Amino acid sequence: MVVEGKKLSKKLEEIHEKIKAEIPWEPVGPTPMPEIPDLRQWDMRLLKTYAPFYAPFCDLCCFCTYGKCDLTQGRRGACGIDIATQQARFVLLACLIGCSAHAAHGGHILEFLIEKHGPDKKIDLGTFIELEAPNIRTVVGLKPETLGDLQIALEYVFKEIAHLLDSCHTGQEGSALDYESKALHASMLDHVGMEIADIAQIVGFDFPTSVADTPLVDMGWGAIDKSKPVILLAGHNPATSTVVIDYLREHNLEDQVEVGGLCCTALETTRYSNRAKIVGPLSRALFFMRAGIADVIMTDEQCIRTDTPQEAAKVGSAVIACLDKAMYGLEDATELDTDEIVRRMVDNKEQFAILDSPKAAEVAVRVAMEIAPQRKKGWLVEEEAIELAKKCTNCGMCEQVCPNLFSIGDGITEVAKGNFDLIRQQFLQCIGCGKCEQECPNNVPIFKIMQTAASMETWKCRAGRGPVMDTEIRNVGAPITLGTIPGIIALVGCSNYPNIDDVADMVDEFARRKYIVVLTGCAAMVAGMKKDKDGLTVYEKYPPNFDAGGVINIGSCVSNAHISGAAIKIANIFAALPLRGNYEVMADYVLNRVGACGVAWGAMSQKAASIGTGFNRLGVPVVLGPHSSKYRRLYLSRKEEDDWKVMDARKREIVDTVEPAPEHLAYVCETKEKAMPMIAKLCIRRNDTPQGRAIKLNHYISLYKKYIGAGLPEDIHLFVRRDADIPLVYKKEVRAHLQEIGWQPREPIGLPTLIGTYPTKVPVDAVIH
Amino acid sequence: MSAVIPRHRVNVLTGIKSARLTEDPAEYANLIKKAKRPLLVVGPLLLASTADGKILMEYALDIAKACNIPICATAQTKGKIVELGVQPDCVYDAVEIVNALKDPDWQGVKKEGNHDLVMFFGIRSDLGNQVLSTLKHFAPHLKTMTLCKYYFPHASYSLPNFKKDAKWQEFLESLIDNLKKGD
Repeated sequence: MVVEGKKLSKKLEEIHEKIKAEIPWEPVGPTPMPEIPDLRQWDMRLLKTYAPFYAPFCDLCCFCTYGKCDLTQGRRGACGIDIATQQARFVLLACLIGCSAHAAHGGHILEFLIEKHGPDKKIDLGTFIELEAPNIRTVVGLKPETLGDLQIALEYVFKEIAHLLDSCHTGQEGSALDYESKALHASMLDHVGMEIADIAQIVGFDFPTSVADTPLVDMGWGAIDKSKPVILLAGHNPATSTVVIDYLREHNLEDQVEVGGLCCTALETTRYSNRAKIVGPLSRALFFMRAGIADVIMTDEQCIRTDTPQEAAKVGSAVIACLDKAMYGLEDATELDTDEIVRRMVDNKEQFAILDSPKAAEVAVRVAMEIAPQRKKGWLVEEEAIELAKKCTNCGMCEQVCPNLFSIGDGITEVAKGNFDLIRQQFLQCIGCGKCEQECPNNVPIFKIMQTAASMETWKCRAGRGPVMDTEIRNVGAPITLGTIPGIIALVGCSNYPNIDDVADMVDEFARRKYIVVLTGCAAMVAGMKKDKDGLTVYEKYPPNFDAGGVINIGSCVSNAHISGAAIKIANIFAALPLRGNYEVMADYVLNRVGACGVAWGAMSQKAASIGTGFNRLGVPVVLGPHSSKYRRLYLSRKEEDDWKVMDARKREIVDTVEPAPEHLAYVCETKEKAMPMIAKLCIRRNDTPQGRAIKLNHYISLYKKYIGAGLPEDIHLFVRRDADIPLVYKKEVRAHLQEIGWQPREPIGLPTLIGTYPTKVPVDAVIH
Repeated sequence: MSAVIPRHRVNVLTGIKSARLTEDPAEYANLIKKAKRPLLVVGPLLLASTADGKILMEYALDIAKACNIPICATAQTKGKIVELGVQPDCVYDAVEIVNALKDPDWQGVKKEGNHDLVMFFGIRSDLGNQVLSTLKHFAPHLKTMTLCKYYFPHASYSLPNFKKDAKWQEFLESLIDNLKKGD
C-alpha cells in the first residue's frame, strides 16, 4: 500500500486496514494503534520534568520463588531488580488491572448489546455530538460508526494489555522509567476502553446524550422505601441493572419494588430510570448491607465487596452474583429452571451465580417480592445503641486498624454516655471497611451502633449525562485556552476520603469561582451529599452546562473517558488540530494550553490509578488525597530547578519559560485546605493571555489567603510574566513583593509546545493551527 | 522486623529495616544537637490543641527555637505559625520537601547544603510513613526522626506508641528542656 507517496510497512498496512484508513475523514497521523515504543519519547519528555517520586509501601519483593528479596539500602533482588523499578512495576500492574477492568467491562457490554442489537447498530450520540469518540479516534485512528467498530478498538486494547502484562514477568524490564512509560501506555488504553464501554452503553441502553439537564434523582438510604421489596444493585455493569428495570416495567411492578444502587451501578441505573435510587458510594456498602434493608443483593463487577454473600447471609438478604468476575464460589444456576432457583432461594436461603441477565432479573424480583413481607427491617434506636456501646472498654484496638485513623473507641464510649455527636462525625468520615468491628475483642457491633448516627436525610444527584457536547466545546474552547475560564476541575474516583464533605466543598468553591466542574463515579455521588444553608446540593445550586460555573455529572467510572475526550475535543474542534492517530499533538496541546486539573480525593482502586495516569499522559495533572500516597508513585517536579523550556512554535525558538505550568502531574495533598490553592495553581498554563493569567492568579492568591493564610504564595513570582498578569485586587501587594525579590518581567510565549524539545517524528508544524 | 508494631498498623505494618525506638528525651536531644544541618518539617496535626489548651504547634516552635532549627511548613500550617509570631523558613507540602531532600545535591532550606537530620512532626501517620519510606530508600545521605505520638517504622529514629497523650507531652517538654541546656 502506498500513502502520500510512501510505501507502508506490512505492519502499518495491517493497521490501516483495521482502522479503515481509506475513509478520509482526516489524514492518518504518525501513531495509529500505538505500541509500547511508539509514544515512549513523549513519556520520557514528561518524566524528565515530572520525575517519578517513589514511596515504597514495602521493603521487599515477593513476586517469585527467588524471594522474598530485601531491596533496602541499594540491594537488588535475585532477578536484579532494584527498589525503584519494583515500585514502577507495581504501578504498571495496578494500571493494567484498572485498564483491564474497564476494557473487560466494555467487552462484556459490547457482547451483550451486539447480541441484542447486532453489530451494525449505528453509533449516534445525538444532535450535538459529531465527534463521538475522541479517545478512540486519537489513539486508534478509527472513527467508530457501529457497535461492531468498537470491537476493533477493543481488540487493539486487549492485545496491548497482553504485551504490557508480559513485561511484568520476573527478570525482564530493568528500568523504572520504562515501566512508567508502560504504565502511561496502559492508562491511555484505559481511556480507550472506558470510551468503548460508555459509548456502547449510551447507544445500547439509550442513556442520556446530547443533553445537559438530566433528571435529579434521589440519593441516600433514607430515599429507599423499605416497606417495599428492595433490590440492591452493586458494582459497575448495567447489563444487569437495566434488565431488572426492564422486567419491572414489563410486569408493571415499578411502583411495587424499590431499586437502589451502590457505586457506579447506581449511576448507570439512574441513567436508565429516574425512579431508581442511589444508596451511596462504596464507603456506604457495608453499612447498608448490614442494615438488612436489601431483600436481594445483585452483584456485577469491580468495586463490589468480596464478602457480600457472608454479610448478606447474616441479615437474611438473598444474593445473586450476576457476572463471572465474582462468582463467590456459588453454584452456577444459569442453566437451572427459574422456578427451582426461586424456590431454593426462598425456602433454603441459598445464594446463586446466575450469568444470564434476564433470568437473574426475574429471579431477583420474584425472590424480593416473596421474602420481603417475612423480613424485619428494623433500625437500631438510640437506647439500644447506648446499651450495646457499654461493652466497649476503649482498648484502642479499633483505632489501630482504622485506615482513616479515627479514635473510634472514643466515639463508642461517648455513645455509651448518651452522646452521639462524635460518632455522627466519625460516620461521616468513615470509609466503611469494617476492620474496626472485626478487631474488637468485645464484639461491639460498631457498624450497628453507627446506624444511629447515619443520617436519614436524602439528597439529590444529577443523573450522568455522558459526553460533553461539541456545541459546548465551541463555546468554551477560546475562554479555556486563553484562561478567562480559569479551568476545568474534574473530581473523579473512589470514596476513600479523609473526609467525605471535602468533595462537596471543593465543588462549591470552584463552581462559585466560575470554573467548570465535572464529576464522575463515587465523587459524583458524594458531591451531592451535602446541603447548603438553603437546603440545596451542588447539583441544585449550579447549572448543569459545560460552561463557567457549571457542575456536571458526566456519569460512572467509564464516563471518565468523556472528560479526557473533552480535552481532546478542545484541541480538535476549537483549535482544528487533526487528531487521527495523532496522540502526541493532542497531549502536547492539552498540557500547554488546556487549564484542566483532575482531583481524585478518595482514590482507592487500581482503576483510579489507571484513570489518573491516563490523564497524566494526556497532559492533565491530578491532585490526590492523602491515602493515595499508598499508590507508591507520584510525578513531581522541582519547580525552581527543573526544565521548563518549551519551543515557541511561531518563532521556532526554544525558550526557558521559568514557569512551572503545570507544576506537578500526580500530587498528594494532606488536607483539603492545601488542595484548594494547589488545584487552582495546576490550572495555570503557558498559553494564558495576560487577562486569563490574571484571573487564574486571582483565584490562586485568594484561595491561598483563604485556606493557608499569611501573605502571598511563595512561588507567585514564577507565574507573573508581566505586570499585566497581576490581578487588579492584589496589584499593590504583589508588585511590592516582586520588587523586594528582584523579579524581572519576561515575554509570554506565543505558541508553547514541547514538540521540538525532544526526539519525535512529529514536526513543529503539526502544532500550528 | 521490628518487635514494635506501629500504632496505625493497617497503613504501615511492613518492612524489614525499622526505626530505632527511643523514649529518652536526652538521647533525642543529643541526636538533634549533633546534627549539623537539621530541619523540622511540621504538619497540620499540630494545629490541634492539647487537653489543657496548648496548641501542639507551640511544642514544634519551642524545639526549633531551642536549637535554631529551620522550619518547613507543610499543608496549611504556615498561617498558624505566622500567627504565633514565627516566620517559617520554607513552605512546601510533605511530598515536595521530601522530593527535594532525597537529592543529595540539594542545597537545603538555608542554601548551605542538604540537611543531615530531618524531623517530622504533625503529619498524619499514613502519609508520614510513606514519605519516610521514600527517604529511607532513596536518601541514604540523611537521617530522619519523628516527634509524633506513634511509632513510625520507616524513620531512622522514632518515638514509641504513647498510650496517654500526657506522657508524650511530658516527653516533648523534657526534650525542649534538654535542647535548651546546651552541650
